[in-house]
Amino acid sequence: MKAKRLFGEIKSSKVFYSLVGLIVLIIISAVIAPNFRTVDNLITIFRQASILLVLSAGLTAVLLTGGMDLSVGATAGFVGCICARMMKEGVPILAAFAIGILIGMIVGIVNGFLAGILPSFIATYGTNWVLGGLAIIVMQGAVIYDLPKNFTQIGVGHTGPVSNLIIIAVIVVVVIYILLQRTTYGRQVYAYGSNPVAAKYSAVPMKRIMVSSFMMCSMCAGLAGMLITARLNAADAAMGDSYGLQTVAAVVIGGTSMLGGEGGVVGTVIGSLILTIIVNVMNLKGISSFAQGMVVGIVIIAMVLFDTYTKRKQERSAV
Amino acid sequence: MAETILKARHITKLFPGMKALDDVDFDLQEGEVHILVGENGAGKSTLAKVILGAYKAEEGEVTFDNEVVKFNGTKEALAKGIVAVYQEFTLVPHISVAQNIFLNREYRTKLGLIDHKRMEREAQRLMESLNCEYIDVKSHVKTLSVAEQQMVEIAKALSFKPRVMVFDEPTATLSEREVDSLFAQIHRLKKEGIGIVYVSHRMQEFPLIGDRITILRDGVKIKTVDIDACSNEELVNMMVGRDVSQVYVRTQNEHTGTALRTQNLCDYKGKVKNVSISVRRGEIVGIAGLVGAGRTETAELLYGIEPVKSGDVFINEKNVLPKCPQNAVKLGIGLVSEDRKLQGLALDESIALNTVAVSLKKVFPNFFISNKKINEIALDYKKRLRIATTSVNKACKYLSGGNQQKVVLAKWLSFNPDILIFDEPTRGIDVAAKMEIYGLMDRLASEGKAIIMISSELPEVIGMSDRIYIMHEGEIVDEIRRGSEEFNSESIGARMMLGTGGTEDAEK
Repeated sequence: MKAKRLFGEIKSSKVFYSLVGLIVLIIISAVIAPNFRTVDNLITIFRQASILLVLSAGLTAVLLTGGMDLSVGATAGFVGCICARMMKEGVPILAAFAIGILIGMIVGIVNGFLAGILPSFIATYGTNWVLGGLAIIVMQGAVIYDLPKNFTQIGVGHTGPVSNLIIIAVIVVVVIYILLQRTTYGRQVYAYGSNPVAAKYSAVPMKRIMVSSFMMCSMCAGLAGMLITARLNAADAAMGDSYGLQTVAAVVIGGTSMLGGEGGVVGTVIGSLILTIIVNVMNLKGISSFAQGMVVGIVIIAMVLFDTYTKRKQERSAV
Repeated sequence: MAETILKARHITKLFPGMKALDDVDFDLQEGEVHILVGENGAGKSTLAKVILGAYKAEEGEVTFDNEVVKFNGTKEALAKGIVAVYQEFTLVPHISVAQNIFLNREYRTKLGLIDHKRMEREAQRLMESLNCEYIDVKSHVKTLSVAEQQMVEIAKALSFKPRVMVFDEPTATLSEREVDSLFAQIHRLKKEGIGIVYVSHRMQEFPLIGDRITILRDGVKIKTVDIDACSNEELVNMMVGRDVSQVYVRTQNEHTGTALRTQNLCDYKGKVKNVSISVRRGEIVGIAGLVGAGRTETAELLYGIEPVKSGDVFINEKNVLPKCPQNAVKLGIGLVSEDRKLQGLALDESIALNTVAVSLKKVFPNFFISNKKINEIALDYKKRLRIATTSVNKACKYLSGGNQQKVVLAKWLSFNPDILIFDEPTRGIDVAAKMEIYGLMDRLASEGKAIIMISSELPEVIGMSDRIYIMHEGEIVDEIRRGSEEFNSESIGARMMLGTGGTEDAEK
């Protein structure tokens, strides 16, 4: 009985179709690529997904308010670079790490305030360029490598049998899940995204919600930037670029509506896994990396089309 | 005897959760103005939209020129010459009058380009036929006054060579002089043999333009009568359908201490001018006035949606300033806003989440929430307000208007503010739900809440209020107490329209 209700709940939620997509993808992958089924490969997938997870979990909050943050890639790159630079200049690892998070927070505050004035996707598209430019200035056109071992351990090391990256990703996802689903803040994020006007009339602190969701997003991006640096044992101004739109894709594939108010972190986890598995399987099958972008694009369009279609059908049957 | 152009028989139109029209008959003759009248939600606009092809009726048929028609959208109705002059203007502000009139069906030159000259010529001819040649057809619509825009709207309708025109509340936004010129146009159109359906609830207009009048109530046609054969009282009785005293319950209860008082309140837009009002605990104070009189704007000043330009607000005699809704809520002011779909509810979210939207921080001061508790609260209000739903986890968009309004009320009751402003609390909901809301307002007042009620429906304001302020063009022009001789629709209605107060009359 309880299982049936749970199933009903899952089925009616937006996560359902993403979940079905993930399962179908796993089955297909397992059939066409025998080496997909190994434990090693599964661990690889989770490790590969972890940075995307950190980024996209943060972005989920912004999308839920109906906003958009196109600057996560550049934020990650910028913070990673500045952090690497600081460590090279002799700043202690912990301090560099804290400053990195702080910079993320500041970027988020700026984005949040701008988003109160401009459409957020334009505002963050602008900050994306600004941060990208800043990263190049910080790096002075060069690449930094050979970072302190204690720092790179975060990216490549293990705690017990589990990769540090996975542990960090899980912690971030759980914290954001709790924030969004189990706190007054989270309910207000949903209320805001679902109908901003009604939220205003319901005395929801609009600015605070918006700024804090952008802040959360950019802090995650900052953290992700440092994780990328730690994993690469190097920093390069452009290292975050490829993550920017991938992050948006992961959240959207996970069923979070770009119009706000619908979706959540669980979907985002699924979306991140879907993206990572696609790339993983294509690598296993030796499909050129040139084709990967195209496939990801098709998947995004297919998922959103499917989502729109089922939603329309649902609404028709309900009326 | 004039020819009947349009006949509608046994029209039934269903909306989720309600029957908007139930077996309604209606007909229209050439050169006739046929008024559709009824309370909000009675189905008059719905019937108009069925005639226009915007809605498809579940049952019944429409005959046009003795021929059964089944319109698939307004375009097909347009092709037959059935056009609408809408209440909200459908003109595009940034293009010219001529371009608006021929929008989407522009004349073309031989090369396929838009023939501006011809369009302007035709538009000019139309404006001349309306005696509005002073409107420059090359000027942008946004530069025109509301009345001029309405004339363009009519010109646009005429460009379709109509046989039937539907006017939906055309005078809602017009000044008195503008109304006169509109009526002159309608008389002229009548003479040309055009049949006119006129949707309105302004009774004072009816004898000026109407020939026949059809009264609708709760989706049912009550009667069609000749305009001369029916007094205003009879009309109201047919519209409301029962003795007004039965619908409204107002228990006599004590009023203690002033809860809210304003002094010379002004806003930046000039919609609220020197408004001084007060409401005591246990009192229901009505604000009557026409649309655009500044009632909603006053409420939004008090609730912190719009900034106050000058003047003072006192709560419990303490000078305060609600800067934003959070501020207002902390001061104990709640606003049941005018537009429940836009301002009141997150329609895609559950009843439960909407119920706690305002009280969230109060119920869960420790940041963390419990969904179980939210559900308990929502279930409690579902029971208390008799919200008809199978589950409080259902999205609000699936509820009927009345039940949605109850969720808005639940949202405020769960927060429990001392001062509650109701802005059009019963708009577009059925009579049963209305009566429940009146009962609730009465109970709240008896519990000692201070209540301000804004409404365009006079019977409702008169039925529920202990005291009524009359607002006209941003100013409070009069204040009438229950029990006074002037506490009736005629006196209040006249003051709403004309903006003259009793005291000013005395001076004259």
